[in-house]
Amino acid sequence: MNTFLQLVLNGLGKGAVYALLALGFVVIFKATEVVNFAHGSLVLIGGYMVYATKDALGWPAAAALGIVSAALAALLIERLLIAHARNADVNSLALLTIGVDVIITEEIVRRLRADIPFIGDPYDAQPLQAAGLTVFRTQLVALIVGIVLITAFFLAFRFSSWGVAMRAQAENREAAALMGIRSSRVTATAWLLAGALAGVAVLFMATQDFSGAGLGRGTHAIALIAFPAAILGGLDSTVGAVVGGLIVGLTEALSAQYVSFEFSKSAVFLVMLLILVIRPSGLFGTRELSRV
Amino acid sequence: MSEVTVTPPETEAPPTPAPRRPRNWLKIAGVTLFLVLLVLFPVFTGTDVAYLKAGQYVLIGVVGAVGLTMLVGQAGQLSLATPFFLLVGAVSYAVLAGDSGDSGDLVGLGLPPVVAAVGAVVICGLVGLAFAPVSGRLRGIYLGVASLSLVFLGLYLGQSLDMLSGGTSTGRPPPTFAIFDFRFANTEPAPTILGVAVQKQQRLWYLFLVLAIGAYLLARGAVRSRIGRAWRAVRDNEAAATAMGVHVTRVKAGAFTISSAYAGLAGVMTALWLDLVKPDENEFVGTYSITVAIGYLAMVIIGGLGSIPGAVAGAVLVNGLPQLLTLGATEFGWFADARFGGPSPVLISAFVYGVAVVLVVMFEPGGLAAIGRRLAHVRAARPTRGGDRG
Amino acid sequence: MTAAPAEIREDVRTLAVDDVTLRFGGITALSEVSFAVRPGTVHALIGPNGAGKSSCFNVISGLYRPTSGRVRLGDTDLTGTSPHRLAALGVGRSFQNIALSPHSTVRDNVLLGRHALTRGGFFSGGLRLPRTVRTERRHVARVEEICAFLGVDDRLDVPVGALPYGVAKRVDIARALAVEPTLLLLDEPAAGLNATETAEMGVTIRDLRDALGISVLLVEHDMGLVMGIADRVSVLDFGRLIADGSPAEVQADPEVIRAYLGTGGEEPE
Repeated sequence: MNTFLQLVLNGLGKGAVYALLALGFVVIFKATEVVNFAHGSLVLIGGYMVYATKDALGWPAAAALGIVSAALAALLIERLLIAHARNADVNSLALLTIGVDVIITEEIVRRLRADIPFIGDPYDAQPLQAAGLTVFRTQLVALIVGIVLITAFFLAFRFSSWGVAMRAQAENREAAALMGIRSSRVTATAWLLAGALAGVAVLFMATQDFSGAGLGRGTHAIALIAFPAAILGGLDSTVGAVVGGLIVGLTEALSAQYVSFEFSKSAVFLVMLLILVIRPSGLFGTRELSRV
Repeated sequence: MSEVTVTPPETEAPPTPAPRRPRNWLKIAGVTLFLVLLVLFPVFTGTDVAYLKAGQYVLIGVVGAVGLTMLVGQAGQLSLATPFFLLVGAVSYAVLAGDSGDSGDLVGLGLPPVVAAVGAVVICGLVGLAFAPVSGRLRGIYLGVASLSLVFLGLYLGQSLDMLSGGTSTGRPPPTFAIFDFRFANTEPAPTILGVAVQKQQRLWYLFLVLAIGAYLLARGAVRSRIGRAWRAVRDNEAAATAMGVHVTRVKAGAFTISSAYAGLAGVMTALWLDLVKPDENEFVGTYSITVAIGYLAMVIIGGLGSIPGAVAGAVLVNGLPQLLTLGATEFGWFADARFGGPSPVLISAFVYGVAVVLVVMFEPGGLAAIGRRLAHVRAARPTRGGDRG
Repeated sequence: MTAAPAEIREDVRTLAVDDVTLRFGGITALSEVSFAVRPGTVHALIGPNGAGKSSCFNVISGLYRPTSGRVRLGDTDLTGTSPHRLAALGVGRSFQNIALSPHSTVRDNVLLGRHALTRGGFFSGGLRLPRTVRTERRHVARVEEICAFLGVDDRLDVPVGALPYGVAKRVDIARALAVEPTLLLLDEPAAGLNATETAEMGVTIRDLRDALGISVLLVEHDMGLVMGIADRVSVLDFGRLIADGSPAEVQADPEVIRAYLGTGGEEPE
């Protein structure tokens, strides 16, 4: 029972991180209908900036710089590339982000050389023991940070003028434009936000607690797991992203314990397949109507 | 995505099919010359098999990319599962043709290599078909992400079923390919072409060349025929396709199946090329990794989605460039500081194809195929027969 | 496809919409609708916006399954038939917002209509067997004939995306005809066309019925077109059939007048 509780807590912590990533995907998708395959490279940019500056600036400043860098990188991708490829359809734009992802990932991996640094200094590798439970501190902090950020996100999404504009745009782009909503600003903000969330997520991903692997190609691969999270929740549902993230985190933690560590990633994808076969648009996704 | 979006005035004269003959002769001459050069390639490279190996690797890419462009470009279904089918193809070949190894801990059926190769392709097709509940129902990007699950599953299965795959530490050797008694290995004496001995690598080059040309012609024919039209109809409008009698689910699942079989053949070729079947240790670097999935997707995008000749061009760029750069590294000492964070062949090629993907999407959605067409028809574009970049 | 005098074709059968009700959740889109399209007639389905015309059309073409009621073509029950089988049963349809492949040529697009009339998958197509090529040539010839009938045979090699809207609309109808239908369903054939094009479209619809002897069911907003070419008109309002008769009868029907005036008079769109 204790093991199980422990797993659930750790799984939820991981799930919170996946939820942050998945939320980024969904926000970008809602704003632009583009599936951002470059999300993993945003994670790497954030992580790399932390690694490169934390000795000089100290961890908190470095972490802030990392988050800002990931956010700016996302903004640059949108402003420089996506916004200028207006005649390409959304599927082509998704392919474009694959190209961007390749370039950024290779460059960061080159810069890291042989290093695979851990960047969760304040909390990493200091397990907490209480009431007979051992919980990874990283996952616990991630869970708390995740809850705070996700709550803040939903409040902003619901009440801020950006949130209203964003939802209007996702509903009907033309109508939103007619109502005076500046599409480009909403879109840019969406990318900026998604980048920032990726920058936060990486602070927990490249740790011994979370993956046992430092920043590198492995981190990029972990970011891919946010895909199933976003997809099984439904690509256009913010609630779906959070639920999807938690499902993925729990699936990974439980299958790693009860089946095998190697199987855990496959398990995540199998759960996604199962859900997609039953509901092709995900748990909370809008079902696509065939209209003629 | 079309290069022709401008509405021509109503009064425009109907396109004249006039000067066809001279251009066709030119084309036939060009193709013949190209084929002769390919056949003579082993003569140019002589005993230096490094170039031959690079060429073989490009041909593997051609087979995989041609299969993928039918799925992605023609049927409009995204797939990142190519490496999974490469793995299934390679392992199936080794299992069907192989023996049980020195210690007897491997499964091997000892079938004739030709049968094993065909069997491996069929198995990949069937595995692709088994994915029909997913591939037939999901659309575009959703399928792309769903197909990513196969890569992870392949990694896990490859690692855990080591009586089939040989395991991640040693792998297993694929049996030498042979057609009846003709073995694709070094023999003494060996036949010669223009004084160059046709040994293992030369033989594999010709084998791969025949396979690639066959795969190309089959795909080209299919794209121009009934099935190709059904693919494009499903891609462009499922409701309209249905109204015209197309069984959308079946056509989508079928396209995935065919693409899987193509990737399976590329997998058999990969096994012969590496002379080793060995599953990867992780999902992000290796022969059957996500990096490879993205590489294949890049070939298809750079070539121009749906274009069969474009897929060939994409394969030359994505698979050929790192090979060429590596050759340059060994021969001329390029990339000496790669180990110290300097550029490496893999890095440079990744940059090149990453940038190429971005540029293609932004400025030339028709890809290299469209650029090629434009160069070939400097005058007003004569639309291709069979339509749609076939 | 020369305009031979209309003969009574035995394979052209009555389309019977029989007591069809369609509900989405709590909303009733169609309520006990019945009418029949007699062989060889041009039959128009009209009604104010939101009257259920499109729903009815989609029930007939198999995209929606009615909550109750049947749709029959001759003795064949279409209600339980998967939509992709309708083409083989002789039902061709065109689309309101041209659902063609923009990058493919006119010929290629219209050839898709031959899908149900032909066989062959990846290998027979891929190997370009002599038999496949011969069959293909025959179908191409027929497609070019159909395109000539629709007046689009001078654009056979042009990608549809490069065509003016009015021409693309005719290509869409050519594709529906390539199915060799006995019943042709036209979803707003005049939508988006200017007055001249609309008039031409009317002539074309009469002509093809006369030449082929098939039935045509069209949903249309343009009253001029409907009253000019239809043999019979069915009127829907709020999901109910309120009139069914000759154009003259329908035009004089007080309930029809009320339906149109009551929802804002002029034809929407």
